Amino acid sequence: MTPSRTHRLLLLLLQLGLCVVILLPFFWMVSVSLKPAAEPFAIPARLWPENPTFENYLTAFRPEFRTYFLNSVVVSLSTVVITVTLALFAAYSFTRTQMRLLSILMVLVIVAQMFPASAIIIPIYKMMKAADLLNTYTSLILAYVTVTLPVAIWMLRGFLARLPVALEEAAAIDGAGPFKIFFLIILPLCKPGIVATAVFVLIVTWQEFLFALSFTSTKEMRTLPVGMNDFIGQYGIRYGELMASSVLISVPVIAIFFLLQRQFVAGLTAGAVKG
Amino acid sequence: MLKRDRWLTWIFVTPAVLLVAVLMYYPMIGTVIESLYSTSFINPTPKFVGLAVYQKIFGSADFAQIVRNSIVWTVAVVVLQNVFGFLCALLLNQKLPGQGLMRSLVLLPWVLPGVVAAILWRFMYDPQLGLINSFLISAGFGDQGLAWLADSSTAMAAAVIAAVWKGFPFSTVVFLAALQNVEAEQIEAAKMDGASATRRLWHVVLPSMKEVIAINFILTTILTFNYFDMIWVLTRGGPQNSTHIFPTKIYELGFGQFRFGEAAGYGVVSIVVLALLITLYFLTQRGSRRAAA
Repeated sequence: MTPSRTHRLLLLLLQLGLCVVILLPFFWMVSVSLKPAAEPFAIPARLWPENPTFENYLTAFRPEFRTYFLNSVVVSLSTVVITVTLALFAAYSFTRTQMRLLSILMVLVIVAQMFPASAIIIPIYKMMKAADLLNTYTSLILAYVTVTLPVAIWMLRGFLARLPVALEEAAAIDGAGPFKIFFLIILPLCKPGIVATAVFVLIVTWQEFLFALSFTSTKEMRTLPVGMNDFIGQYGIRYGELMASSVLISVPVIAIFFLLQRQFVAGLTAGAVKG
Repeated sequence: MLKRDRWLTWIFVTPAVLLVAVLMYYPMIGTVIESLYSTSFINPTPKFVGLAVYQKIFGSADFAQIVRNSIVWTVAVVVLQNVFGFLCALLLNQKLPGQGLMRSLVLLPWVLPGVVAAILWRFMYDPQLGLINSFLISAGFGDQGLAWLADSSTAMAAAVIAAVWKGFPFSTVVFLAALQNVEAEQIEAAKMDGASATRRLWHVVLPSMKEVIAINFILTTILTFNYFDMIWVLTRGGPQNSTHIFPTKIYELGFGQFRFGEAAGYGVVSIVVLALLITLYFLTQRGSRRAAA
């Protein structure tokens, strides 16, 4: 074997190793979710169930879980729609109008995402309490829109900055007003950026834990991450069920991620690499 | 937006600016004010105490431990995640078979919801049922599992490993994009001059990626310092405070013990730390822009 061949073989082995590092925990999660109630307790643990069954999924899909799921869907989708709309308007203005005050505002907005949510959670909690919004969708959507706006503006700004202003000028000469230009020219051209941003906001919101943990107090209003955390306490060692719920929570975001992956990675790295 | 439509600018930015101002900056001021008052479960009416909260916090053994833990946690996760992430990016840039699939798979841990990842790792570390102990026992390392998360000497390391697994894909994807931006011509020229792969990496690839690496280090430092979900679900800061970092301590003090003043004091300290990191981020970014110009 030539040295370059051994070299490539070594690299392939490393790639295989990386694959195992990434996938082993996932494999374990799915495997345990398919084990009959008694089997996770086999010592030493078996990598794959002897008698795979879906019974854990049936028990996991109990009414509370359905409520959590519905809450997560309502809160996440509302957040995605509101955040992307507001971010698009803001990013458009930030990239098209050059003004000192405006650039200062933009930096302040983008920087906001870097401060820890835990450092502001108590005042926000008190504000929500004073406004009588605790334990409502509104409190969560308000908080989620606010924390996702900075990163959404940051991502969309990258896309908008690359669109040539000449297009808008040409449309204006043809007599198009600002809204016509925005909705008929900017919006379609930004579609990849909008998709990437929407996926990012969805991934962040779907898993948000701290606000949901603090703002919701009843089972009726819990979202999936908080509901899952409650499960640990209640069903301490019913791992089969816990893993089945984990799979059910992860499947929607992973599916959306794989469907829209190309645009998503392009959008993510455009911002991160360009700075 | 064209000059004639400038009046729209303010209408377009107002909702976003207003939300961020009211729900992020105003509460930050609220945290500072909160830290000047004392409340407790027994005395729920806030009482102005000036800087007494800070005196109490800075003098406590808890604070010293939280600072130590936060430094260990942040430095360990950031260094491991970026070094491992960079090596993976190099590997995925080699044009090997199956590379396309690998580039999608690598992001999976990052897409997995944080709480799910934490529960999954909690289970992996389980003394009796966990996969890790099973492997170690069958490989002949003792006949009894270790309670990784319940032992204060191993809990932090266990949490770090779980967080690195969850976070390295982000670094890989960013570094991979940057690697693909390195000029092919420069690498070819170095090859012609007979530079070995290691020398090309050290003298051509790394210098041209300097800015991306620096910015990514600071960005992941910020995210890791603020990361709440993983430690809260894995250990809740325990055992014996050994994994408590700022975010978990603030939550426990505030919502677990209703000691809002102290929680806010920790909050203010973490805001100051973050403000320093953010300044560093902007200085680095400006430096890299100037270098590019």
